[in-house]
Amino acid sequence: MTLTESPVAESEAAADADGAAAPVSPAETLGAPRGLAQPFMTNDAAQVGRLFVVASLLMGLGKAVIGVLLSLGRTDAAAPEDLFGGLNAYFRMWTLYRVSFVLLVVMPLLLGLALAVVPAQVGAGNVAFPRAALASFWSWLIGAVIIVASVFAGGGWGALDGVTGNESDAMALTLLGTGMVIVALLIGAIVVATTVISLRQTGMSLLDVPPFSWSMLVTAVVWLFSLPVAIANIVVIYADLRGRSAIAFGRPESPDIWLQLDWLVEQPAVYAMAVPVLGIVFSAVGKAVDARSSRPEAILVVVGLFGLLAIGGWSQDYFTAPQDLRDGLVYVAFGLAAVVPVMATAGGVGELVMRGSKTRDRLLSTPMLGAGAALKLLGAATLVGALRVIEPLDLLETSATWAVFHGVVAAGLIAGVAALATWSQLLLGPIQQRLAVGAIVLLGAGGGLLVLADLISGFIADDPDLMALALDGNAALNGVVLIGSLLVAAGLAAALLGAVSALRHGATAGSEAP
Amino acid sequence: MFTTGFKFFFGLFAAFVAAALVYGYTTGGNHVGPISLGWKGGVGDHIGYGVLVGLAFVSLIVSLVLVSFRDADASAQARLQNVAEVLTDQPVAASFWPVVAAFGLGATAVGLVLHPMVFVLGLALIFLSLIEWTMDAWSDRATGDRAINRELRNRIMAPIEIPVVGTLGVAVVVLAASRILLNVSKLEAVWVAGVVSALILAGAWVYTSRPGLGRRLVRILGPVAGLLLVVGGVLAAVAGERDFVHHEVEHHDESGEPAVPEEGH
Repeated sequence: MTLTESPVAESEAAADADGAAAPVSPAETLGAPRGLAQPFMTNDAAQVGRLFVVASLLMGLGKAVIGVLLSLGRTDAAAPEDLFGGLNAYFRMWTLYRVSFVLLVVMPLLLGLALAVVPAQVGAGNVAFPRAALASFWSWLIGAVIIVASVFAGGGWGALDGVTGNESDAMALTLLGTGMVIVALLIGAIVVATTVISLRQTGMSLLDVPPFSWSMLVTAVVWLFSLPVAIANIVVIYADLRGRSAIAFGRPESPDIWLQLDWLVEQPAVYAMAVPVLGIVFSAVGKAVDARSSRPEAILVVVGLFGLLAIGGWSQDYFTAPQDLRDGLVYVAFGLAAVVPVMATAGGVGELVMRGSKTRDRLLSTPMLGAGAALKLLGAATLVGALRVIEPLDLLETSATWAVFHGVVAAGLIAGVAALATWSQLLLGPIQQRLAVGAIVLLGAGGGLLVLADLISGFIADDPDLMALALDGNAALNGVVLIGSLLVAAGLAAALLGAVSALRHGATAGSEAP
Repeated sequence: MFTTGFKFFFGLFAAFVAAALVYGYTTGGNHVGPISLGWKGGVGDHIGYGVLVGLAFVSLIVSLVLVSFRDADASAQARLQNVAEVLTDQPVAASFWPVVAAFGLGATAVGLVLHPMVFVLGLALIFLSLIEWTMDAWSDRATGDRAINRELRNRIMAPIEIPVVGTLGVAVVVLAASRILLNVSKLEAVWVAGVVSALILAGAWVYTSRPGLGRRLVRILGPVAGLLLVVGGVLAAVAGERDFVHHEVEHHDESGEPAVPEEGH
């Protein structure tokens, strides 16, 4: 859509007048590219969505393997040297694992789902800017490749013992790759948000938008408020790393680099990738039991509130003394309040189940299982987040931080699998139930174990040093973390297998009610 | 009367003019300098003022173009196409420019760290994508007819694209062929040049004598030959040039000192 295009309402009016209001599928009308050209030239956002889903699941599997290796490193004090060739390399993988699960796995997975599902939900033939959606995917993929390659070449987000010449180049590449990935995700978010705002079918107000589409609109707004802050951080770090320290903060002898960006994977910013989880839960449960909420506006308020509490650019503590910000009233209030919308979602789901069909098949369907598991993990993550901000518990700078992270990541992945089962025809095709259920169970169990182990480690930890958080901990708990990591990796493998087998059956886009 | 595009860009023009005036007066502009573009008085900081005024003029020109050609004016398009109303929410055509833009962005990022040439290549790809993407976006909605849209786009872009692609093609051929000829021995270079010339001559003869067969042949062999040439050129460039024998001819000037030696192959 160009800037100079006439308003959409006008086109819809024109379409109505001609009696042709039904959305036009781009693939049907414009001779969509076939074969190998398809991923490079497609004008159909649903195909771009599929690319995002499969690529992010692949990335997820790779990162889960890194997670297993990191967990192995926690079980033996000498393991970091054996496994990674030194503490610095361990630190690189430790940061890669965290940043990747946010920017390279969960966010693109949910964005991909949105690109495929949202146009159908709002009655549009395609997203607002299909070419921008394609650019978003390829920019994200190239940025992801740059990140992974540069980290393995000695880059990353900082080094424990200072940055050497070669590392500086690789780190600069990591930073630029991170910026590129963030820009790509923002473009995708703008595409989805514009579709919800501008391309709804005639007569559908924002209050009538299905929960998932609404949650993606909220998510896009939250990302637009939060992610540009990370880009600004990257610009500052890059300037410090490549030139003279002109801005006078951010010492290149890291881990200062990581400390400037870690807010992205901590609460409240980490909740930004969980906002669509609420939308998926409402939509999946509603569809599974064939019921609609009696108070749909309440769902919008709940999702909007969670989005508001997920805006996190303000919460970075690198430039202020931690006690000034993280012990402050706002941070504590955000931490405590995040539980409310998740609990309200549980209430909303309960209402839907009460109003809907309660046959055994429906209640035990894959979307229901996925929605339940995702909501439980998100609830656990927000509860730990609430505990974390209670000062007397002294959990703020402990591994409880990663309990929140793991809970949100696992919830996002499970919600993704539930969405694949709920909108199978719009996405990849019918996903095998055994694989989908297996993925949900494994991810749920693994995520649960990681949350529990990290929370307990947080209670018993007494050294708030950065690497101590990564390496130390009770031996038994480290074993639990290893089992949890293995389960998450197995769950992601099952999800990927399910996605690939569904793709082989082929999707018949648009043949299913959204 | 005023199209959406005109309103947008005219609004931008007004905003840039206002910003230029504020900027001019707050950075040392006096009298009516900022209002009269510096005719009577100073404009303050020249660079900032100049950028803002420049943006204002560009916005004004774009707005005038849009209103003159009735771009995105649904009623004007309807009259042109002789229909009651046009559907403006048209699907876009498939395009590879988003992918080129993404690769350009990646090359820019990598080049920023690794090599300036890669950075410049990335910028060039982004610039190229922006132009092509903009033209595609415009032509997709120029009229309600896709064939006409395509024709309109080609009418504007083909006079630019064909010479540029042709020049680039010639440059690539010359560069790749020269790398190959400089890589092989002197005698082999003569043979390579002779055989390739003979093949081109033979191809041209087939093309003219049997046009049907020739077209098919060119369609198949053209890309294959181009690919071989580029791959060969890259491999030859990596392998480097052959060893050249330097024939040094010593000239002695009047003082008896040897002059700068001449080089020959």
